[in-house]
Amino acid sequence: MSVLTGTAAIIVTFNRAAKLTKVLDALDRQVVRPEVIWVVDNASTDGTGDLVLARARQMPAIRYLRLPGNLGGAGGFHAGLKAAYAQGANYFWLSDDDAYPEPDALRVLQEEMTGFQARHGWRPAFACSRVEWTDGSLCEMNTPRPAWDWPRFLCDGSAPVLVESCSFVSVLIPRWAVKEHGLPIADYFIWFDDVEYTSRLSRSYPGIFCPRSRVVHDIASNRGVHFGQLRESDLWKYRYGTRNEASFRRREGGIAGLAGYAFRVHRQMKDADVPWRLRRRIYASILRGAGFRPGIERV
Amino acid sequence: MFMSMPTARFPSQPAEHVSRELAEILAIYERLYPARHLNFYLYEGDNPVWCEPTIIEGEFVPGPEHLSPEYLGHLACPGKDDAAPPVTIMLSVPRAPDPREASQTEPDWKPVRLLRMIYFLNPLIYEQIRHMAEMMRKWRRDRGRDMVALARGHGTPLMTGPGPQANGRPAILIGMHWLELGGAENLAFDCIGWALEAGLRVFVIAAVPSLQRLAGRLPQDADIRFIRLDRYLPHHLWPRFVERLVQGENIRLVHIHHCAPLYRALPYLRARAPWVRVIDSTHIVEYADGGYPRISGTWSNFIDTHHVISNDLIRFYQDRFHAAGKLALGRMLDRSQLAQPLVPMTMRAGKKSLHFAFVGRFYYQKRPIVLIAILRALMRWARRGGVELRATVMGEGPFRAAMCRLLRRYGLAERVEIRSARMPVFELLEEADILLLPSSNEGLALVCYEAVRHGCIPISTRVGAQDELLPEGLLLPLSPFATVRAAVRLVDRLWRDGDFLARQVAELNAAWTRLGDDPTAREVLMPVYLSAASTGQERRRA
Repeated sequence: MSVLTGTAAIIVTFNRAAKLTKVLDALDRQVVRPEVIWVVDNASTDGTGDLVLARARQMPAIRYLRLPGNLGGAGGFHAGLKAAYAQGANYFWLSDDDAYPEPDALRVLQEEMTGFQARHGWRPAFACSRVEWTDGSLCEMNTPRPAWDWPRFLCDGSAPVLVESCSFVSVLIPRWAVKEHGLPIADYFIWFDDVEYTSRLSRSYPGIFCPRSRVVHDIASNRGVHFGQLRESDLWKYRYGTRNEASFRRREGGIAGLAGYAFRVHRQMKDADVPWRLRRRIYASILRGAGFRPGIERV
Repeated sequence: MFMSMPTARFPSQPAEHVSRELAEILAIYERLYPARHLNFYLYEGDNPVWCEPTIIEGEFVPGPEHLSPEYLGHLACPGKDDAAPPVTIMLSVPRAPDPREASQTEPDWKPVRLLRMIYFLNPLIYEQIRHMAEMMRKWRRDRGRDMVALARGHGTPLMTGPGPQANGRPAILIGMHWLELGGAENLAFDCIGWALEAGLRVFVIAAVPSLQRLAGRLPQDADIRFIRLDRYLPHHLWPRFVERLVQGENIRLVHIHHCAPLYRALPYLRARAPWVRVIDSTHIVEYADGGYPRISGTWSNFIDTHHVISNDLIRFYQDRFHAAGKLALGRMLDRSQLAQPLVPMTMRAGKKSLHFAFVGRFYYQKRPIVLIAILRALMRWARRGGVELRATVMGEGPFRAAMCRLLRRYGLAERVEIRSARMPVFELLEEADILLLPSSNEGLALVCYEAVRHGCIPISTRVGAQDELLPEGLLLPLSPFATVRAAVRLVDRLWRDGDFLARQVAELNAAWTRLGDDPTAREVLMPVYLSAASTGQERRRA
């Protein structure tokens, strides 16, 4: 168990200056504030840079990393985590520019992580918050995936649940895990980078879901990722997601893993009667993912 | 203390000089090794600025080479008790400088041997080659050097040691590059005054061995001590000395002004005295390797606040080190002077006699050879236009002799006066029409502020943050040939085109007002000093 608690928050943003302000407000209200707040800007054009620099005059913890172009969420978290690791933080708290943590969200994550290790001897690879939508309901797209033995320590109802993966919305990652497993895959650009990364971290030991740590995710609608809900407007994201997950399934489970994934996608689209012109694009993405093997950068 | 040498044995070193030097040497080494036996082997030095010390921690038996013809004697300072481990310090007592060294430490500049012939044929071609080499280094720097701040672990509260132990009024340690002429040094001297005003005791150290000719500018105040680490202590021992000074003198604040070894002392200081606040001030991004802002950015995680003098530096720290929350812009301006009306510009279109001025050190940075080339070209222009032209060049440095030779060679010696840097600058600026400032590298030159304030139009190379004060029309390209051509064209236009001249003056005035809206260095630094002074006092009251 480490007694070092120096935490760097990493917020990736793109053209959401107003929401980012609320995130910084929420970080400023934290009971346990991060020592450093990295705002990773995917080359926003809405004045985010000026806003962050002005805000930095009141919040000395802010570090502003402007990327040369829009590298997507994956590129942003990759760059942010790399920079924060290089500067020596002991924990990394990753989150979106539209997710507002409750004042004790970070403290609970830290306490749960160190407490779990003290009680059970295992080092969780990450700790994630309960992500809620704006109406207080569970945010569908940020639901963590439980580990096969998720209730192992759930004896009295208070211990955290073991999870295999989660999203990059309020997740606390210890330094040792980054040192051992490297950085998120920047080439994923968007979608599935978080699941791939936290799954990779889980190889050491699963993460823990900490429902007492709460975050409000301010997104337009509370929808999960289901191919039956595929729409033209979402297609570009689904295509990245499909390519990335297909690549991951192929890496982890070989051809069989890829085939199983393709079949699930096919069933979801077929059952919901998704138009063929959209389905074709998704199948093409799966094929692209089969040959897509981005490298993992170590620190 | 036991000395095995009578003072009468120093025929070539006046005893008083040696005793004075010894007193400073002992003060430094006794603070560094307070409990140890100190064995000094002293030699007569031939270097006026540096004592070339060798330090051996442990027993040492001198060989015949250690009793060389320069050997002065042995000096023993007993430690706390007999069991105290010994330290042997061998050093040469620096000699007193001769009058020539007292005015200029560095030898006269000479062109590099390989290109000497080119220089004698045409100095500007030589400058052009040197400029190209410099640009190549800059390009390599931009490509090759990854500027990343060093990681720093902050530890855990569980391991917090005792806080500051020392009594006495709180103090500040101000680290300077040296105590010679320069913009960074000007700010450091101001900071010393502000720290005294805030009620802090002030310790000053300098990184570069030199005669420290401006040491006399330090206020005559019992609360100021200039410790000559530059002269007597090798850089690798600075961290230990600085830590002992901090612990022993209740130092609450360290302010670094271009003092490289003090940056290297920060890890030791952060580990042993984490309560000390560290700030630094930087002025100029240098082409070769980024200079002090790069060093400062590399140590950013060990520094609480980076004070910078221009938006150019804000961008540098932000783009390279992402240090947004640590940056504080404080202009090198005096608020009381900002409130005073500007002296009207002396320059008028069509004026029959023009007076040019240059104020700065005669180092390559200020492009003294290009300056002479500009003056030569302007003389030709003046002859053609029937304008009476004269120039005053104020400063000193290793290029002085080369500049004088060129002035004679070009027949300009009678029209260009070289004045000592000790003369008042304001009088010259109020008298002159145009200030010329060719430069290879600049932060935001103080002399340009002064020129605007005193009614002189500054013309400068477009480097650093010069464009934050000077309008587009008064900036020159960097390449030497282009600088000379553009300078003549610009002066010609200012002289012929009254509207253009009026526009430039209006834009200078607007920039002056704009800069006045930014906080001054004093406004940024004084609260930090006051806070350090009050923190220490609160603890003492408690």
